[in-house]
Amino acid sequence: MSLLEVKAVNRILTDNNGQRVPVLNNINFDVEPGEFVSLIGPSGCGKTTLLRLISGLDQPESGTVKVNDKLVTKPDVSRGYVFQHGSLFPWFSIRDNISAGLRVTQGRHFDQALVDQYIDLMGLKGFESAFPHQVSGGMAQRAALARSIIMHPELLLLDEPMGALDAFTRADIQNVIYRVWQQTKTTMILVTHDIDEAVYLSNRIIVMTPRPGQIKEIVTNPLPYPRQRTSDEFLKFRQQIQDKLNFGAKDQVAAS
Amino acid sequence: MQSSVKQERQLIQQHERERNYWKKWSIGWNVFSVLTIALAYLENALVPTQETVDNRYYHWFLGAYIAYLIIVYVIGQVTHGGVRSYSGHFAQLNSSIGILLIIQDLITEKFALMALPFFVSFAQILQQIHEDAKLLWESTLSSLGLWAVSFVVGTLLGVFLGLFMGRYRQFNYWAFPYLKVIGIIPAAAWMPLTMVIFPTSYMAEVFLIAFSVWFPVAFMTIGGVQGISKDYFESAKTLGFSEFQIVRKIVIPGALPSIFIGVFTAMGLSFTMLVISEMIGAKVGLGWYINWAKGVGNYTQVYAAIAIMALLFSVIFAVINKVEARLLRWRDAGR
Repeated sequence: MSLLEVKAVNRILTDNNGQRVPVLNNINFDVEPGEFVSLIGPSGCGKTTLLRLISGLDQPESGTVKVNDKLVTKPDVSRGYVFQHGSLFPWFSIRDNISAGLRVTQGRHFDQALVDQYIDLMGLKGFESAFPHQVSGGMAQRAALARSIIMHPELLLLDEPMGALDAFTRADIQNVIYRVWQQTKTTMILVTHDIDEAVYLSNRIIVMTPRPGQIKEIVTNPLPYPRQRTSDEFLKFRQQIQDKLNFGAKDQVAAS
Repeated sequence: MQSSVKQERQLIQQHERERNYWKKWSIGWNVFSVLTIALAYLENALVPTQETVDNRYYHWFLGAYIAYLIIVYVIGQVTHGGVRSYSGHFAQLNSSIGILLIIQDLITEKFALMALPFFVSFAQILQQIHEDAKLLWESTLSSLGLWAVSFVVGTLLGVFLGLFMGRYRQFNYWAFPYLKVIGIIPAAAWMPLTMVIFPTSYMAEVFLIAFSVWFPVAFMTIGGVQGISKDYFESAKTLGFSEFQIVRKIVIPGALPSIFIGVFTAMGLSFTMLVISEMIGAKVGLGWYINWAKGVGNYTQVYAAIAIMALLFSVIFAVINKVEARLLRWRDAGR
């Protein structure tokens, strides 16, 4: 049995003129435990919408999202979600942000040692008492990652967590995510429009078409871990994904 | 790394200080400000007085003022902390205070251009405060106590209603139209009714002051709650927060900046209501003291009470300001 089963999912939104716009059209795919799957496609293809359906933050108009054969109806701590802008609580220190989930689920006597461990793992030592606005974007994103992963979710949903970062920081966070994935074997789904990122990290890449979002192809990544961003195989596979994203339409600008 | 964070925070603090206290340290201005206060002392001591007044208390005041300035300037000269930024910044303002003291002293008690009983010198106010010290002290405590109780009641009520109306659509739908119509009524309009409805005048006063407070607080709280980014609520849900925890850890801290705007708005209204309600119904308090002084035609007492109010309300304002700075220290300093 798959960990995640997405079946015949449709999502329709109503725009400002009252028009019903299909955003996701007949989405079907499964994710196995321990997998790293990337959802890739141009802006507006509904990849974030799909991730929100998986988390339970939104509901599909038709079709089902099941985790462990149970229908997803609302957000749950077993499905972590990292937002594009981290959305750390600005009124909590970095440490209190990381321990926020533990505090509310385990009460006052939550596992402090576990918090220390994740602060170390994410390289945030020395910044525990800083407030989010006082740390860099990269550090904030590490803290956001720690905040979700510390809850040991069975599924971690990453919504373009590197999207707002500069190239250096982005590569750094990619490595952090890779390390965490290797160490914890948490199943992860990453939404991105960065082909490099998807190729570098994932077992499988789900290529989506623009509105209405449909799955064009699910590509298995043949490259062994750890991956070299400059190896010939990497670049070749990267080109393969790039070609699939171009959709043959001449006016389509591929995302990258 | 720990020390680098600490260093950075010190730098931020210094930066903030330099922004708030931006006037440069100037020994010339420091000396000049001390001289103007000293001149105020000399002027009062040397120019013959035309009105009856005991200038001792004024002399003590000026002496203390000069001593204070010399102490902070010396500390500022040898250290580089907050005292230097603060005292250096206000040196010029202190000079202006010295000059104003001289002018008011000359036109009142010295030359009687603005004369008793309607105009008094600062020295006469200080003398009055000294003479009425016990009564004024009791009045001040009484006013402070009444204000504090009423303000807390009104603020809590406002925050509570605001949180509910901001967070829950149903509550907002049923309550807000009524509360909006009630809240817009000036508290003073209820005065004749409260005097007869409430069993004690104290309760009536608490009601009136709290009434002037709750609405601005509630109104700003609603806006504050509704302005919180939905990302925080969604993050909280994926982290296992219950509704109660969301209210406690997301809604309240998220709305706090707006709540404080409401609190500061309400503060001015509450001082007004405090004085008015004490003038009408009370037998103690600074408002009552003013009313009583008016009755016996002693306007120096009115000035004395006004001077104490200026001090008292400034202190309250400063305290709430400090509380705000402390509770909202998570906000970006460069906001």
